[in-house]
Amino acid sequence: MSGIKKEKINVSILRQDPSSGSEPEFRDYTVEVNEGARALDVLMAIRDNIDPSLSFRHCCGAGQCGSCAIKINGEPKLACMTAAADKMILEPLDLPVLKDLSVDLVSELSKMPGLVPCECEELPEKDEIDKIKPIRDCIECLCCVSVCPAMKVVDFAGPTRMRQEMRLALDPRDSRNRVPLTVDEGLFTCTTCHACYLSCPKDIEIPGKAIEKLRELANRQGLTLDRHKEVAELVRTTGRSVERSGKTFLEKVPEVIEPYGEVRAEVGFYVGCMYNMRVVQTCLDTIEVLKRNGIRVIVPKEQVCCGSPLIRTGQTQILDHLKKTNIDCFVKRGIDTVLTMCAGCGATLKKDYETPFEVIDINQLLVKYGIEPPEILNVKVTYHDPCHLLRGQGISEEPRELIRMVAKEFVEMPSICCGAGGGVRSGLPDEAKALGKNRGIEIEKTGCDVVVTSCPFCEFHIQESTDRPVKNINSLILEGYRKKDGNC
Amino acid sequence: MVAENIVECHVLVIGSGGAGTRAAIEAARYGDVVIMSRSVAGKGGCTPMAEGGFNAVMNPEDCSTLHAEDTLRGGAYLNDPELVDVLVSEAPERMKDLVNWGAVFDLTPEKKLAQRPFGGQRFNRTCYAGDRTGHEMMMTLIEHLRVENISILHEISAIELLKSGGKVCGAAGLDRNGNLVLIKADAVVLATGGAAQVYEVNTNCATGNGQGFALAYRAGAELIDMEMVQFHPTGAVHPYDARGRLITEAVRGEGGLLMNKDGERFMERYDPERKELSTRDIVSRSIATEILEGRGTGKGGVYLDVSHLDDRYIEEKLPLMLEQFLNFGVDIRKEPMEVAPTAHHFMGGVRIDTNGATTVDGLFACGEVTGGIHGANRLGGNSLADTQVFGKRAGESAGKSPVAEKEIDPVQVEAIRARLDGYLAGEKSPAEVRKQLKEIMWESAGIYRTEKGLKKALSGIVDLVGEKLKAKGRENLIDCCTVADMITTALLVVRGSILRPESRGANTRTDLDPCIKPEESPYGHTFQSLEKSGIEKAEGN
Ligand SMILES: Cc1cc2nc3c(=O)[nH]c(=O)nc-3n(C[C@H](O)[C@H](O)[C@H](O)COP(=O)(O)OP(=O)(O)OC[C@H]3O[C@@H](n4cnc5c(N)ncnc54)[C@H](O)[C@@H]3O)c2cc1C
Ligand code: SF4
Ligand code: SF4
Ligand code: FES
Repeated sequence: MSGIKKEKINVSILRQDPSSGSEPEFRDYTVEVNEGARALDVLMAIRDNIDPSLSFRHCCGAGQCGSCAIKINGEPKLACMTAAADKMILEPLDLPVLKDLSVDLVSELSKMPGLVPCECEELPEKDEIDKIKPIRDCIECLCCVSVCPAMKVVDFAGPTRMRQEMRLALDPRDSRNRVPLTVDEGLFTCTTCHACYLSCPKDIEIPGKAIEKLRELANRQGLTLDRHKEVAELVRTTGRSVERSGKTFLEKVPEVIEPYGEVRAEVGFYVGCMYNMRVVQTCLDTIEVLKRNGIRVIVPKEQVCCGSPLIRTGQTQILDHLKKTNIDCFVKRGIDTVLTMCAGCGATLKKDYETPFEVIDINQLLVKYGIEPPEILNVKVTYHDPCHLLRGQGISEEPRELIRMVAKEFVEMPSICCGAGGGVRSGLPDEAKALGKNRGIEIEKTGCDVVVTSCPFCEFHIQESTDRPVKNINSLILEGYRKKDGNC
Repeated sequence: MVAENIVECHVLVIGSGGAGTRAAIEAARYGDVVIMSRSVAGKGGCTPMAEGGFNAVMNPEDCSTLHAEDTLRGGAYLNDPELVDVLVSEAPERMKDLVNWGAVFDLTPEKKLAQRPFGGQRFNRTCYAGDRTGHEMMMTLIEHLRVENISILHEISAIELLKSGGKVCGAAGLDRNGNLVLIKADAVVLATGGAAQVYEVNTNCATGNGQGFALAYRAGAELIDMEMVQFHPTGAVHPYDARGRLITEAVRGEGGLLMNKDGERFMERYDPERKELSTRDIVSRSIATEILEGRGTGKGGVYLDVSHLDDRYIEEKLPLMLEQFLNFGVDIRKEPMEVAPTAHHFMGGVRIDTNGATTVDGLFACGEVTGGIHGANRLGGNSLADTQVFGKRAGESAGKSPVAEKEIDPVQVEAIRARLDGYLAGEKSPAEVRKQLKEIMWESAGIYRTEKGLKKALSGIVDLVGEKLKAKGRENLIDCCTVADMITTALLVVRGSILRPESRGANTRTDLDPCIKPEESPYGHTFQSLEKSGIEKAEGN
């Protein structure tokens, strides 16, 4: 085969040998590889031609054995399935390092539960197989384990072991009931942040297909946390997941909110419990922004809790009723686009519902229609990615675009769960606090004046771990408009 | 004192692929078992990469005689009929073991194991789990291993079998840091898999270096039919550094069509009856001929097309292929793949009897490191079955070995140390030698062979034997040992091919007439050991 083009690749690799006691350090390499080379080919070229002491693992070279996971530009990836790129930065996964890019896999893998066959010789039903298959592809690469925030602060068996527990629970050939054990292993410590899912090279949806399903099984066995049961009871009796503390958003606004100027679009508005009852002002700020930008907002008053707190905690008995009420109230009004501004409700409506209408997040909406530019505020802002927005709905650029329109300076920080989700804030407040504290540290590092986010749970929760104000994007935009109005 | 790290056990299993894990599970019924694995257990070897399936007679309308006939015909009648009998008659039982241990294979609506057609077989007898059959099998075995009391030495590579008084009594290995580990055992099961890595273009994983062939050879075992290397017809041609990566036979099994650059379905010319589903040796040669005669694609392959199949069907039956190709920018639902032959499987290997016993006392073997089961060409799907059938048998025989006082020969250990010290003082980069070796093998001991080419390869490899391999640090000792073993294995292949004066199965000699009726060939196995080498006369011919 002739004419294969060569390319020069520069890489930076974090080298370390913990046994020698030296500090980890980045070293730069330049190698020539063939066109189309993968990160793994670059590593092999370095080891073969420059430094045979470089340590990394690989075996199948085809995404099937899970040996070669490393961080490429900060993201866990399989080196054998990722195209090499110039200036890439290669680091080990966030797991105990043996040497360079090789991490300790065995300690974790040896804890993975196996199947203890029963005597029944019964094959699973087709629908059981269909449920097992999507969580069966695991190649035990531990990308998910390396990113799980819960494992960093509490005793938690972690995503792939939970996946395996669900796989065993679904299989009639394993006759044991391990569900109570999974509760001890930390089933309820997962914040459903979806970091594991996003990092998984096999796209295994662990939170939705394993953890929430195990929580349902736990629920049937009476193992739901008391605090979660209280929330479910509240939803059952009031249709809402939070306690009433004053006039709600729904009580404060008319059913149809007309914009100030010409109508550029019309949306139905799904409010969600937190915005309706706890962070009402933020919600009103958002309405102001919408009014100013020509969006007519229709707010059906009979809407109820979306059911997210129930799904995340495995209490799905009344879910269908909630879904029907919510879907019907928009359908009845002939609405074809429903706006959400709570990241959690948005993710739930998009992924756990089958809606006959389009669901659009506020950030998407504002960017789609474009907004009147606010006055730039003289503040340094960082942004906290809500899990259910970034990973749940794949929305990352839009909020940033909006922030850049209003803040003088924008600094990034790593996107990690704040600890509020998955029923953790209500059920395991100490864990939520520990995760929140880590956020506080990251916020401190940025040296920002204001923390911006786009989720009421995050807003509420993070505020407890930082002395900087935590604001919704829309509140900030509104400040920009007020400043602009004041100036003219 | 011979070494710091000495482990003692009843049975030592070397290798944690399908065969090794199955052997360990069985041996554990008789005593304490240690697995020594070059990779983290379960992550190494070619078993987790197997995509297509596992052949077993599960349907009352099929029968094991038919399976045996297909296997023998596919193997150009070079197979050991006794081994074939064991394979076909026990494969269904071993398949059931896997299912009982939790394997998630595809089922029919009637809750029976689904079976797909595979090349060279007259019945749909290949059980599968989508196109990740080997992975499913490996996960099942590893899950089962985790509930057994078996100790696993992860990431320790065997570099020599230990012998005492003519009997294999353990193995020497190197850990990640290059420290020597010695293991004493009453019996050793060798399950190190194949060696297609000795070729430049191959489907194998990084552990497919054939160290097991070299280890067994040095321990005095007899190896047979080492020239029989299967070239899989369909390896990827892009990206260049991943060329050879397997495109599973299931692609053709599910209806994939082979086409040359002119859009001609050329298999109609080479095997009008079976076309794409002909045996691997025939399809490989046909593709190679198309490419050689200028009807190949720009990237040096031919087209393999499934785009006429329903998208959903492709997504369900070939998810891994879809994912791998999408990853490299090709949507196989819409456009054809490009493929070319690639070194895939070693049919030859350590001679075993039906109990997995080798010709050396104390040494058992199973899986791809053994020879005789698949003859001159393996049928797709027979290997996974082989690992389970003979894994169990070898594990059982090893487990039943008598418990004895275990001795290590200090002279042998000293020799191993001296060899390692030699590498620390060596000169030549093992990576460079490996590259040269692979090129020689691909060039002259590949799909098409001639006596002249083989002799040239032989002298080229012999030159490499003389190179003083260099380990930069202790952790690189294993690189030197591996390359040395690859050289030994490559020599066995080339010498085996020179020993066989016929074109048969995978040993295609363009300077000899093709063997039209292999069942009437006057030749049997080629054999090579430290003591003797030659070619057997076929029984009855
Ligand atoms: C890509 C691909 C697809 C395939 N598809 C199919 C299929 O669909 N159906 C089918 O029947 N067959 C298939 N095969 C063939 C089949 O997978 C193998 O022949 C079979 O899995 C070999 O199993 P094994 O246990 O003998 O060896 P392997 O699975 O290769 O395992 C070898 C083990 O030995 C270890 N090892 C190697 N060297 C050392 C050492 N020096 N010291 C210690 N440990 C060592 C390795 O780490 C590994 O654990 C396929 C092969 C490939 C490469
Ligand atoms: S969803 Fe987040 S917290 Fe839960 S297991 Fe996955 S990574 Fe961990
Ligand atoms: S679940 Fe996904 S990320 Fe986690 S170990 Fe398995 S394959 Fe890797
Ligand atoms: S080398 Fe096996 S997954 Fe990358």
